[in-house]
Amino acid sequence: MNKIITLGLAGLFVFAVGCKRQDIKHDATDSIETVAFNDEPSVRGDSEISSDLKIAYFDFDKSDLTGESLEILKENASYLSKKPSLKIVVEGHTDNRGTSEYNLSLGQRRALKVKDYYVNFGIAPNRIATISYGSEKPVIDENNDAAWAKNRRAETKTLNK
Amino acid sequence: MLLKKNIFSCLAFLFLLSVSHAQNNVYLSLSSAGKKRSDIAIDNFTASDRNANSIKYAKLFKDVIENDLILSRYFNIMREASEYIGDNISEKLSYFAKAGSAVLLSASVSSSNEDSISIEITMFDVESGGVIWSEKHKGNVSDYRYIAHEASDEIVKRFIGDTGIARTKIVFVNNCTKHKELYVIDYDGYNIRRLTRDDKINILPRWSPVGDKIIYTSYLYNNPDLFYLDIVKNRRGIISKYQGLNATGVFSPDGGAILLTLSRGNFPNLYLINASGGILQKLTAGSCIDTSPSFAPNGQEIVFISDRFGYPQLYIMNVAGGNVKRLSTNGFCDSPSWSPRGDKIVFTMRRGKSNYDLYIYDLPTAKITRLTDQQGKNENPSWSPDGRFVAFCSNRSGKGEIYIMAIDGSGTRKLTEIPGNSYTPAWSPVLAK
Repeated sequence: MNKIITLGLAGLFVFAVGCKRQDIKHDATDSIETVAFNDEPSVRGDSEISSDLKIAYFDFDKSDLTGESLEILKENASYLSKKPSLKIVVEGHTDNRGTSEYNLSLGQRRALKVKDYYVNFGIAPNRIATISYGSEKPVIDENNDAAWAKNRRAETKTLNK
Repeated sequence: MLLKKNIFSCLAFLFLLSVSHAQNNVYLSLSSAGKKRSDIAIDNFTASDRNANSIKYAKLFKDVIENDLILSRYFNIMREASEYIGDNISEKLSYFAKAGSAVLLSASVSSSNEDSISIEITMFDVESGGVIWSEKHKGNVSDYRYIAHEASDEIVKRFIGDTGIARTKIVFVNNCTKHKELYVIDYDGYNIRRLTRDDKINILPRWSPVGDKIIYTSYLYNNPDLFYLDIVKNRRGIISKYQGLNATGVFSPDGGAILLTLSRGNFPNLYLINASGGILQKLTAGSCIDTSPSFAPNGQEIVFISDRFGYPQLYIMNVAGGNVKRLSTNGFCDSPSWSPRGDKIVFTMRRGKSNYDLYIYDLPTAKITRLTDQQGKNENPSWSPDGRFVAFCSNRSGKGEIYIMAIDGSGTRKLTEIPGNSYTPAWSPVLAK
């Protein structure tokens, strides 16, 4: 039901044609709801990094959780289990060595692996959204091993709504 | 081969029909030249009404059309034309006959008022002095480049048989504002226009089959949603906003459906959706990466990448998700794009430690030809609508820029000089004004 309503909302949001010819501007009246699916909360609206949640890092072209990542995620998970009202989004990121399309999917797979870990720890799946930025949002925009290692990551952020 | 010859003979016959005084087979030799380019002489474009506006636009029209004909790579332009001064057409024709050109392009420009402009193109057969054809193109002065492109496309069509690509644009992403925004530019590098002003991440733009819309993925609302821009009606909206990825969207050739990658709280897979985001069909399943789809021009088959056997490879399947077949490549592949003629797939591939280069997979022969050779990272190729060129992104200059090259590997040119990095070009179909 919810799906049908939001699909309807996904239809037209248009904006005044009278704006400057140079730019196409967006309309602030766009529906802010995401099509709900698979019990994931919407990440629409702002998310913020909680200082109590840490970043997990990955090996090149891999979405497997490393020993180091498992330690970090365990800390995050125990924090989340103490705050059952918190909803979170897991953002998957990659370095810029692959191609942009593949990296979007690789980032999504990383986010899912982290979500799976949290769910197995006992966090309710409907508290966890996943998205991918692929290689679009590097922490360090450089081409070297140190930068790449920092960019291959999954960030867990709280949803502030 | 025989068929080709017949087509050209037919064309030549049509030309001869339309020319009262033509006596030889000059058009046949022009159009059947194949890889060899033909000489075309271009006369000074004149202002028939001697109006100052017409004089100004005569010069501008000539620059645009001459450049279009060069970029088409069908013709050699005889530049002596611009140095020849004289009004007598028979003197001109004998001049160009001596210079060795078979045809002479002449044009006269007139403007009935300040806002409108018209150009009458006349193509002469140099040897006979006959008019091959003459045609008028007119419109608003602010559209003079489009009017000129229209004339250029007509010239290509008359000689080659296929419509030219002068009325096309390229949409791409640039980050000179520190944010990835969409820009659109004419295929010849003019008329750049910014389409988005979001201060967010906008990526992977693609055209609708008739060129009225551009679809792309945007993080405007903090989720990678699939948006459309209606560039005719100047509107924008969201097509698909399932939680997670709504990325690598492409229109079906009939424009009725969109193929894209959705994650929907799970592993990314390929889906077919309708124009309002409703799911028509899930095409792939499983925990591997299946993405970067491109339709065959017949709308029945799809090429995409999958890492189901360890690393991203090219696969073909039908639109129902069946008959999956791997193409024989041996590197990390992405961004496959099916050619408008249906016989080729251009893609980017990295072998071993080397950089990404562009390759063409020829479907009838299963042969792979390399287009770029380790000049930086070469990605996201997009076909011109006539299937003779690709636009792509390369960082060979030290930053990401858009280039165009002929698929025989020749004539690489940078599309434009623009600050920041540019990415993911998509070539439009031939556009209405």
